[in-house]
This record gives sequence, C-alpha cells and structure tokens, in this order.
Amino acid sequence: MLSEFGQIFVFMIIAVILIAFIYVVVRFIAPHKPSRQKSDVYECGEETEGETWIRFNIRFYVIALIFIIFDVEIIFLFPWAVVFREIGFIAYAEMAIFLLILIVGLIYAIAKGDVQWDKPEPVIPKLERQLFSAKPDINKKDNQY
Amino acid sequence: MQNLILYSLSNFIPETILVVTIIVCIIADLIIRKKSFAVTFVAIVGLVLSFVFVVKQWGLSMSIFSGMLAIDNYAVFFKLLFIISTLFILLFVETSKEMKTASHKNEHVYLILSLTTGAYLMASSVNLIMMYISLEMVSLTSYILAGYLKKDKRSTEAAIKYIIYGAASSGIMLYGMTLIYGYTATMNINEIFLYLSKNPITDTPVLLASVIMISAGFGYKISSVPFHFWTPDVYEGAPIPITAFLAVTSSAAGFSVLVRFFLVGFANTEIITAVKWQEVIIVFSIASMIIGNFVAVWQTSLKRLLAYSSIAQSGYILLGLAVVNSAGLFAVILYLSAYLFMNLGAFYVTILIHNKLGTDNMDEMDGLGYRSPFIGVTMAVFMFSLAGIPATVGFIGKFYIFSALINTNSPNLTWLAVVGLLNSVVSLFFYVKVLKHMFLNKPEKPLPELDYGYANILITLLLAVPTILFGLYFTPLLRLAENSIKIFGLN
Amino acid sequence: MEQLSKILYENILTILIFIPIIFSLPLLFLKKQSEKFIKIYSLLLSLIVFIFSLFLFLKFNPDVEGYQFIVKYKWISFLNADYHIGIDGISLLLIMLTTFTIPLSILISWQSVNKRIKLYYFMILILEGSLIGVFSSLDLLLFYVFWEFILIPMYFMIGIWGSEERVYAAVKFFLYTMIGSVLLIIGVIWLVYSCMEKDMFLNAENALRKFTLDITQLDKISPFLQPQRQILLFLLFTIGFLIKIPLFPFHTWLPDAHVQAPTAGSVILAALLLKMGTYGLLRFSVPLFPVAFLTLTPYLAVLAVVGIIYGALVSIVQKDMKKLVAFSSVSHMGFIVLGITALTQEAVQGSVIQMVNHGLSTGALFMLVGMLYERRHTKEIAQFGGIAKVMPVYAGIFLVVSLSSIGLPGLNGFIGEFLILLGAFGSQNLKSIYYSVFSATGVILSAVYLLWMYQRVFTGPVDKDENKNLKDIGKIELACLIPVLIFIVWIGVRPNTFLHKSEKSVNKIILQFKNAEIINKTRNTIDINNSVFREEK
Repeated sequence: MLSEFGQIFVFMIIAVILIAFIYVVVRFIAPHKPSRQKSDVYECGEETEGETWIRFNIRFYVIALIFIIFDVEIIFLFPWAVVFREIGFIAYAEMAIFLLILIVGLIYAIAKGDVQWDKPEPVIPKLERQLFSAKPDINKKDNQY
Repeated sequence: MQNLILYSLSNFIPETILVVTIIVCIIADLIIRKKSFAVTFVAIVGLVLSFVFVVKQWGLSMSIFSGMLAIDNYAVFFKLLFIISTLFILLFVETSKEMKTASHKNEHVYLILSLTTGAYLMASSVNLIMMYISLEMVSLTSYILAGYLKKDKRSTEAAIKYIIYGAASSGIMLYGMTLIYGYTATMNINEIFLYLSKNPITDTPVLLASVIMISAGFGYKISSVPFHFWTPDVYEGAPIPITAFLAVTSSAAGFSVLVRFFLVGFANTEIITAVKWQEVIIVFSIASMIIGNFVAVWQTSLKRLLAYSSIAQSGYILLGLAVVNSAGLFAVILYLSAYLFMNLGAFYVTILIHNKLGTDNMDEMDGLGYRSPFIGVTMAVFMFSLAGIPATVGFIGKFYIFSALINTNSPNLTWLAVVGLLNSVVSLFFYVKVLKHMFLNKPEKPLPELDYGYANILITLLLAVPTILFGLYFTPLLRLAENSIKIFGLN
Repeated sequence: MEQLSKILYENILTILIFIPIIFSLPLLFLKKQSEKFIKIYSLLLSLIVFIFSLFLFLKFNPDVEGYQFIVKYKWISFLNADYHIGIDGISLLLIMLTTFTIPLSILISWQSVNKRIKLYYFMILILEGSLIGVFSSLDLLLFYVFWEFILIPMYFMIGIWGSEERVYAAVKFFLYTMIGSVLLIIGVIWLVYSCMEKDMFLNAENALRKFTLDITQLDKISPFLQPQRQILLFLLFTIGFLIKIPLFPFHTWLPDAHVQAPTAGSVILAALLLKMGTYGLLRFSVPLFPVAFLTLTPYLAVLAVVGIIYGALVSIVQKDMKKLVAFSSVSHMGFIVLGITALTQEAVQGSVIQMVNHGLSTGALFMLVGMLYERRHTKEIAQFGGIAKVMPVYAGIFLVVSLSSIGLPGLNGFIGEFLILLGAFGSQNLKSIYYSVFSATGVILSAVYLLWMYQRVFTGPVDKDENKNLKDIGKIELACLIPVLIFIVWIGVRPNTFLHKSEKSVNKIILQFKNAEIINKTRNTIDINNSVFREEK
C-alpha cells in the first residue's frame, strides 16, 4: 500500500479538493449583495479614511523591525520563568547576559539614530563606477585570442 | 542538565570569545563614533585569543550541547582557516580605498566577526537544525556585507540578488531536511547514518530528492553550478575585501558542512549505491568546472573573472568529495588550505589595483606589470597557483585531488581526472589572460609608475610567500590535513 | 680545500641548477640604467655555469653504467618524493648543450634586445636552471615541477620580446604544451598507483609496496605491468613529449612560436626545449613501457617519417626564412624520433648526437636569420638577393651551418643522420627498411630547401637598394657563431668525444628493453593459464 509519505500526499490532495469544493459551493449558495460598507477595506472595524494604497514612510518599517526583534526575544523569558527555580543561579546569570546583549543592541539602535523620527537629509544614490568603462577597441592589435 | 550546559560551555570558549569580541566592538564603536583602527584592533585581539583556544581543542573528540556541535580536529582545522582568513580580511579592509567610501564606519568589523562565528558553528555542527541555523547566520551577515556600500547601486543590487537566491535555496534545503527527518526520525547526522545503515533503504527517490535539495543549500554557499547564479553579480557588486571574504571563508564554511553531512551521514557503500549521491556530486562538480572555466574566458572584469574562477575551483574541490575515501577528503582539506592563500592573494592584489586605478576592468590594466613590478609578479604567482602550475601551492592541491581520483577503483574515476585536468588547461587560458594584460599588452599611452606602501607590500608577501613555500615544501600542510580527517574513519 | 672540492664534486649538479636561479634574483633589484652591468653580469653567470659544467663533463665516467653524481635528499616524506638528481651520458650531453647555448643566446641578444633588460636576462637564467633540472631529475615529481616551470619564462620570452603576433603565439605555445603536461601528470600519478596494484602483474610480488616517484625504482617494475595498462600510460606520457618535440601532427604551435619569438627565444626553443620531448621519450616512455612501445612503434615511426617529409616539403615553399628554419626543425626532430623507435645501438646513439647537432645547427641558423633581421627588419626571402657580395663573412658562415644542417660529411649533421638511417635500416624493432628509405628523402629535401634559400638570399645581383649598405658581421656576433662552428666541425670529425659518453647509457636502455621484451613474450602463454587459474579461484 501507500508509504507514509504517500499518505501525506493523499492528504494534501484531499485538502486541495476540499478547499476548491468549498469555494465552488459558496459561489453558488451565498447571497451576493454588495454595499459600500461591505466592499470597504477592513481596518479593524474603523471607518476607512482616504486612499488605501498610500505609501508608508520607510521609517515605520525600521521601527517595526526593531519592535519585532525585541518582542520575539521576550518569548525566551517565559520558559525561563518556568524553570528558573530548578536551575538556580546559572539561569539567572544566563538571562542577565542575554538581556545585557539585548540592551547593547537597543543602545546601538538608538545611538545610530534608528528610532529618531526627525527626517534626515535624503541621500540620492548615484552610480560611482561607470557601468561600461572603456569601449572595446576593435582596432587594437594585441587583443586577438 | 546544569552540568551538561556548563561542560558544553567550557568547550565553547573560542565561539564565546568571538561573541564577546563582537559586543566589545559594538560598544567601542558606540563610544568612539568615528572611523578608527581601535575597533579593528579589538577584533584582531579577539581573533588571536580565539585562535589560542581553538588550538587547545586540537586532539579532542566530543560532542556538546546534546549532540548539536562536535569538537574534533576537522572542526579545528576549519576554525583555524577561518581565523586566518578573517585576520587577512580585516587587514584588507583597512587598506582598501573602496571601503573608506562607505557611510558606515566600523560596522564591517563586527559583521565580519559574526560571519566568522557562524562559520565556526557550521564547521562543527552535526545536527541538521544546527547546520541550517549556522548557515543562515553566515548568510544573513553576508547579505549585509555585500550591500555594505549602500550608496553604490551595484553593491545594493548585489545584496538584493544575494538575499533572494539565498532565501530560495535555504528554503529548498530546509524542505530537504524535513524529508530526511521524516524518513529517519532524527536530525543528528550520526544517527541518520546509523538508521540508514541498519535498516534496508526503501524509498530511494525520497532520499535522493532530499539529498539534492540539501545540496542546493550547501551548493549555494560554495557557489557550485547549478546554484551559482548569484556569484558573478554579487562578487562584482560587493566591495572587493568582502568578495574575498565570501570567496574564501564563506565557501570554505560551506565545504566544511557539506563534507561532514555527506561523509558522516551517507558514507557507506550500500547507502551510496542506493542513494547515488556520489553521482550527484560528480555531476555538480563537472558542471561547475566546465561552466566556471568556459564562462571565465570571456570576462573583462577581474572580479567577475575571479568569481567564475571560484565556481570552477569549487568544482575541483567537489571532485575530492566525489571520491568518498580518506585520500579524497585529504585532498579536499589540502586544496582548501591552498585556496586560502592563493585566492586571498589574488583578491588582495585586485584591491591594490583597484585602489590606484579605481576599476577592475582588465583593459585598463595593460602594462600594469611594469608600472608596478611587485603587483605584476605577485599576481603572476597567485594566477599560476590558481591554475595549478608546479612550485606553487595550487599544484599540490590539484596533485592530491587527481591522485585521489586516479587511485580509486570503486568506481573507476580516472576519466574524471582527465576531465578535471583538461578543464585546468582551459582555466590556464584566462588566468594567463590576466598576465597577458599586465605584461604583454602595451598601454595606449605611457602611464606613471605606481607606488605601494610598506603595509600593502607586507600583506601581499604574507600571502605570496606561503603560496610558493608550501608549493615547494608541503609536509606541514600534509601533517595538518592527515590529522584533521582522522575522525571520519574512512578507508 | 680538499674538503671544499669534495663537496663541490658531490653537489655539482645542485650547483648547476641553482646558480642561475639564485644569482639571477639580484638582477630584479638593479636599476634600469645599469644596462651594461646587467648584461655582463648575466653573461659571466652563464659562463661560470658553463665552466662548472665542463668540470662535470670531464669528471663524468663513461664506463659506469647507470647514474652518476647522484644527490638524494628527503623532500616530501608523504609521497616518498625526494630531491633526487643524477645524470647518465644522455643527460650529460643535453646539460652540456644547455650550458653552452645559454651564454650564446645572451650574447646574441646583446644589441637586439633593448626593452625590459632585467626581466629578459632573468628569464633566460631561470630557464637555464630549470632546463638543467629537467635533464637531471630522477624523481618524477621533481621532473614535473621543472618541466612545467619552464613554460612560464618561455611564455614571457615570446610574449614580451617577440614580434607583432607575439601574444597569440605565446598563448598558443602555452596552451599546447600545457595540454601535454596535464596528460603527463595524470600518467605519472596513474603509473605509480598501477605499480602498486597487485592485479597488474603476473607475479604479484613485483608490485610496489609503497608510493614512490623514484624512476630508478619504477623502471624496474613498470615494464612488467599489464600490456593494456602500459599502452594507456604510454600514451599519457608520450603525447606530452610528442607535443614538445613536436612530432607531426602536434607541431602546429611551433612555427608560430618560432617566428614570433625573439632570436634568443628561438635559439633556446629549438636547441633546448624541443630536446625535452625527445629526452622524455628516451628517459621515460621507452624504459618504463617497453611492451607498449613495441606495440606502438609502427605508428610512432610512421609519424616520424611523415614528419620528416612533411616538414621538409613545407620548408621548401616557405617565404619567410625563420618559418623555413622552424619547419626544418620538424623534419629534423622526426629523424631523432625515428632513431629512438629503431632502438638499435647505432640509431639511438645517432638520435642522441642528433639532438646535440640539431641544437647547434638550428640554433646557429636562428641566430643568423636573427642577425639579418636586425639589419633589414624583414625575414622575407624575396627581399634579399646577392647578400654574399655585401656580407661575405656572414655568407660563408651561413653556408657552413646550412651544410651542417643538410648533413654534409665532415660536419656534425652527417654523423647523426647517418647513424640513425643506418640503425633504422637494420632495426629489428622497425622490421622494415622502408622507414629508412623514405626518411632518406628527407635528407635530400633538406638540401633542396636550404640550398635554394641560400641561392635566393645570397647569390645573384644585389637588386634591392636597402641591401647595398648592409654591414658585415660584427665582433659580438662573431663571438656567438665561432664556438658553434668549432663544435660543428668537432662533432663532424671526432664524434667519439661525445658518442663515447653516452654509449653505456644507450646500451643500458636497449638492454632493459630487450629483457622486458623477452619476459613479455613468454607472458602471453602464461597469461592464459593464469586467467584460468583466476576463474577457478
């Protein structure tokens, strides 16, 4: 019969078929009455304001990145809290070192101005090296092999 | 539990030193706030300290962190290689004009050190997850380093290309790993080997697929065909010291983990006949040699030429792995140590040329050998070494690779040696082309002579002298290689 | 003092190899302006080497079989590769030829080479050291290192100081010879491993026990290898040598390299580098793989004869003097290969002496053509005519050298070609007299192309204005040619001075070959039994 992977494969196929089936069924059964509110973009229940497809400032991205880094590291604190009593001082030292490293990172991010909101002078990138330096010289004699 | 961790930590000192050095470098950078040699100096001190503790690990054979990392001579060899190349790269950066144009000041120091730390972990990891994580650690830092000159469009482009290829291939690799885990129910390569050798191998297509997928991840690190597409663009776009770093440390790290994965996990005649990974490696290596060498012939940029040459070189090294015996592994180790000197040397000379000419286009290098005889001669040494001409260390590497190929009978691989050597004739063509530009072509108008400072000359000599010295008397290298591969227990 | 001379005596070969290599290094650090000093320094250096080699020549004992002046130091213990050098009669003559030619080629470039002088003389001296290394290595790895290393200075010689198409010629030369060397290194590695495989021998005890690259050990073992393996190995070794010789059809790099190289480069190439190929054939291909050699003799001999006739015919139609001499090389080297394939005492002796002869006469011809080129900046035959009236001394010397190249009795060429043809005629190995007969036409053809060229260049009226005021030969140029002339006559009149030295060594090679032949004849019968035996097992 099927190997273990074969079973997984069958499972995958069934999943795809099922989802497709649901989509098709919904298409036929569901009532279709669009209104302005319904076709609005979902923003957690708030009323939408202005255009949806606006450009976000790139600095949101940096902030989000920093947030995620520090947010995710917190996850390590939870299992640590559970076994803290069992392991004792070493666990304490480990977590202290860990947080110290994080703090250095935070200081680094602040010192490098990554959390500052003031708009720095835009730097327009320019090509410092020529893309095609020196045209190939056809008449050049030594270039023959 | 507690003791285990402490015990593991006590054997984790070299890595710990590097991590501490990184943090100290960051703090120093924050305090100093301008370009300064002090940060580099701290990094060098850290590397030297780490070197001392790595040497102390020589002769040990154990696994730490519950089977995640192994400490053995093999890992020690690679760590030494990484330390030496990192030291050189730090010096390269100091003398490169290109890196001075960067808007960052000292960041490269701790980025380079993080890459080295990742490479350390790669060399000693014996667990698929650890392999993946350490490989990603190396990859992530190298993305940043490739885009280090963020005002330079090409550098940014290199970083983006690198990250896209990297993400794709490490994704594929991860999928391969899950397949292996599904098959053997373990992530530890020693246990994978036990499982495969004890149980009859049934689903060979699954295993073959997973092996190929995993090779995609490693192959991308060592830039072997068909995972090489990023190499020329990234090598060309990234600043040259970083290119050298990627070409040597990062690809050596890739080899360290690739070799360990295959020769620990799958080195058994039955597994080889069932899974046929040997054929896969042979195909990759032939493709790398042929594509690398033949495309390099047409290059006009020295950096691109060196990029294709690295692709070809990794083809040669893969030949050593394809033999699957101790002689082949021996040759791989030897070739990598040769590669360290000659490739770093070639890149350093490129840096020096770039410093003065501001380009790496070979047409601009006409007559350079006379404008600066020192540059010309050392470049000749490195090029001949890369081509494998005797009296250089590159010849020794090739000699051992091909003698391993000729000396194996199961299967007979002599034809592969012929293919490899004919390829090295092709490679000679473009290595000599560099020298042709430097010595034989006349510049259109007479150009002034170039002078280089003592520091530049000293660094070049530090690489050129071993290239020749180990080419004439290579017993020390052989000793090192012989001791490094004992743990594999191959015949 | 006595001890010093003893040390000197024992290490004379090492001294010969490393004097030019080490003492040429200071040249690189001299100032550009000190041209004269550079020239004199390198000339003196090469003369010192020549004097040392004279000492070698006199101390060499022709009655001893096997190698002399052996030096053996541990080099790489892992491979059992040693710094192992020594010479027999054949290598002695070639080393003498090397040390003799290098000072001349330095002299001939005295006025003609004006750019990058330091590098130029450095390259020549490096070449000298490595050539002596090639001719005296008894270790395959050492041999290979020197063999390959020679490519580098030669590449630069052609590429930097050559004429217009130099870059193309240099790269072509490099790649051709590199293909040969690559096959050679595969052959070397495979040979040693084959000798370690017990299945390869009838008597398993013959097999090598440990890895070694020492040819004095290998040539005792490898003749007994399985014939099929021998043939493969023979091809790997020999193709490299044939490219270097160059035997037809591997000769296409030669005209380009010769025509483009500077005069001294051509001289060194013709006189010395081509000899590396024939030397390799005689030193490695024949003694190591006698069975293969026996099987492939007809093919090699046919190629040699084709080369002789083809080279001569192509020479006839050349318009460029240098190209003519280059193709005549192909023809002459064919004679040497024919002599080796004949494998009789006379023929091989003839080949050895012909190597020296070819070095002298063709080298001299290249020098002479170079001198004319200096004056007129053209090598086209049609541009000349009646030169004998303008440059009588030059014309006289040219005639003597041409005649020696043709093989006029009394001059050196005759001895070599006569011995080869004689040996090939009665050779058991060739089994047919037609090889001799056909190659004898080569001698006639060589008279045609050389004398015809002589006629067109030197006789007749001086009809070109540029030719009317040519200066006759100068002192330095005369100094280059006189030594060659002396030896041309010497070998022609008293060849025994040189033949005597190589007699025993040649005998040894032939004897070795004969022994292996006998053993392998009996092998066929044993082999059948053996295979039956194996199946039972």
